[in-house]
Amino acid sequence: MSDHAILVEDLYYSYGKIIAVDHISFRVARGEILGFLGPNGAGKTTTINMLTGQMKPQGGRAILLGMEVSKNVKKIKEYIGVCFETTNLYEQMTAIENLILFARLYGIQSFDAIALLKRVGLQGREKDRVQTYSKGMKQRLMVARSLVNSPEILFLDEPTAGLDPASARAIHDIILQERKRGATVFLTTHDMMEADKLSDRVAFMNQGKIVALDTPLNLKRQYGKRALQAKVVTAGGNLEDREIELDKEETAEKVKNLFSNENIATIHSREATLEDIFIKITGRGLAG
Amino acid sequence: MSMRRIGILLSKDLSLYFRKRVIVYLTFIGLIFYLVIYFVMPSSVDETLKIGIYTQTAIPVISELDEQGLEIAYASSQKQLREEVISGNYTAGVSIPEDVMQPSDPDKKPVMTLYFAPDAPEEIRDAMEFFVKEMIFLQMGQPLPLEVSEEILGQDMLSTPIPTRDRLRPLIAVFILIMEIFGLTYLISEEIEGRTAQALLSTPATSSDIFMAKSISGIGLAFIQAVLIMTIVGGMNRQPFIVLVSLFLGAALTTGVSFFISVKARDFMSVLSWSFPVLIILIIPSFSVIFPGALTGWVKAIPTYYLVDTVHRAANFGSGWGDVWVNLLILFGFTALIFWAGLYVLRRKFQ
Repeated sequence: MSDHAILVEDLYYSYGKIIAVDHISFRVARGEILGFLGPNGAGKTTTINMLTGQMKPQGGRAILLGMEVSKNVKKIKEYIGVCFETTNLYEQMTAIENLILFARLYGIQSFDAIALLKRVGLQGREKDRVQTYSKGMKQRLMVARSLVNSPEILFLDEPTAGLDPASARAIHDIILQERKRGATVFLTTHDMMEADKLSDRVAFMNQGKIVALDTPLNLKRQYGKRALQAKVVTAGGNLEDREIELDKEETAEKVKNLFSNENIATIHSREATLEDIFIKITGRGLAG
Repeated sequence: MSMRRIGILLSKDLSLYFRKRVIVYLTFIGLIFYLVIYFVMPSSVDETLKIGIYTQTAIPVISELDEQGLEIAYASSQKQLREEVISGNYTAGVSIPEDVMQPSDPDKKPVMTLYFAPDAPEEIRDAMEFFVKEMIFLQMGQPLPLEVSEEILGQDMLSTPIPTRDRLRPLIAVFILIMEIFGLTYLISEEIEGRTAQALLSTPATSSDIFMAKSISGIGLAFIQAVLIMTIVGGMNRQPFIVLVSLFLGAALTTGVSFFISVKARDFMSVLSWSFPVLIILIIPSFSVIFPGALTGWVKAIPTYYLVDTVHRAANFGSGWGDVWVNLLILFGFTALIFWAGLYVLRRKFQ
């Protein structure tokens, strides 16, 4: 059996003249969380759709758990869980009915819907129709639905978009629990903080291409700058900013001067964020 | 395709169907629909009658009658006259014998034969008898001894008295089937627009499973309701198997129509706006039963004509397979075409 949960080679897809996914290749190890980052229209969802067998690649191939997706769609679906970007629950059914429906489609005989709903913090509302749920609750139910078959690979497409911090944190906890269980997580997100916190590695996607793929730490080392930021009190009593870039030859001297000659009010270190790095690599932000 | 998954999806579809309060609203809309139909029906009657005449003797006065609501056409033979009446080109046919002016046997009255289509209204028959006697009177200047014989070409459906409510049976059957278009279309369009179909397809369920479940739920709901209603109104008493086959084909036809509308409809309002024109068209043939002779040949271009006509003949007159097989064959053709085409466009939409 392959060491890699996901192996992508030269994957390509275009909508007419618009190239959505432009010959991308990458690998995801078993039990790894890969953050897939990029602005709207970068090709993230098309990539997920091809990896989950919902769209057939126009070029290249995707191999999940050692099986080529386009040739083993039905088999692969038994081992994956997908949480979609848009809420697509049966709103006139209860949370339990939604989960049981999907469990039955996977052919699961004994399924504890209550326990799963408790895991995502929906205990007490399990018999309410989904149409009465808040957005955060629906999103948690979406995540729960993607876990019904205890998937070996979990695809999460913007699972925390537009959620309040408490709901987002609940979903982060579930993702980490799944990794602990041994599942591989393919996470697309706009949220760089989320990706930084959860991902073992992150891939930056821009205009259909993967422009960087590494651990958050390595990307920060490679592309970001570390600095010491201080606020000092001047002779006139005003506050002024001072910034000393780290990892330079003159850094030590500058730090010494700061502490010797300035009246420091506050001081802290600053690391580059993934967003800074994305902008540096692509020349554009994630919002666009 | 998996029967187990189809069963699961089918129970899901039925569960969702019966949770929709919209069905209550649709009943209300149905009442409005009847009122609309009443007001869109023409308030005046086109009284032009096309009468075919086959005569072996010259009757010059006939040409003078070709005015004011009467259109006279001449048939070249008795056979042609009968065929034109059967095909509906003539409202009635008149066969005038050679000896009508001068009877060869003084003791024997000449026999003038009138031909009618099976659904020719009673008043047309009365009017035709009056017409031929008047025509001879005008020609001769006096009444002649004449015997008028009527022949109904095909099965005489008017001579058998049918209570008005029994005439409504085909309308009820078609209406019940057509109402299912709303429910099924809403169910499918919600599945597409709500992207729940995408969620289903992320599981081992295939699009074939989904379509099969939708087809079974659509046909099943429409068929069972129509059979129940027809049983209650006594429509199954005479030829139950023919009525069952007709209703089944009708249920499949309306399911195919639902597939078509689902491709366009996005929400409940658009389901209504797309369904209503289709519903109005499909229900028109029912009026040919309620008001015999009110509709002309173009109604045969509407697939439900063959459903209405078959149910009418089987339920109200006890017609057998030999009388309705052509109808059923044409209905089957329409159903197969519409169902397949609906499934095709819906599958494309899913993909």
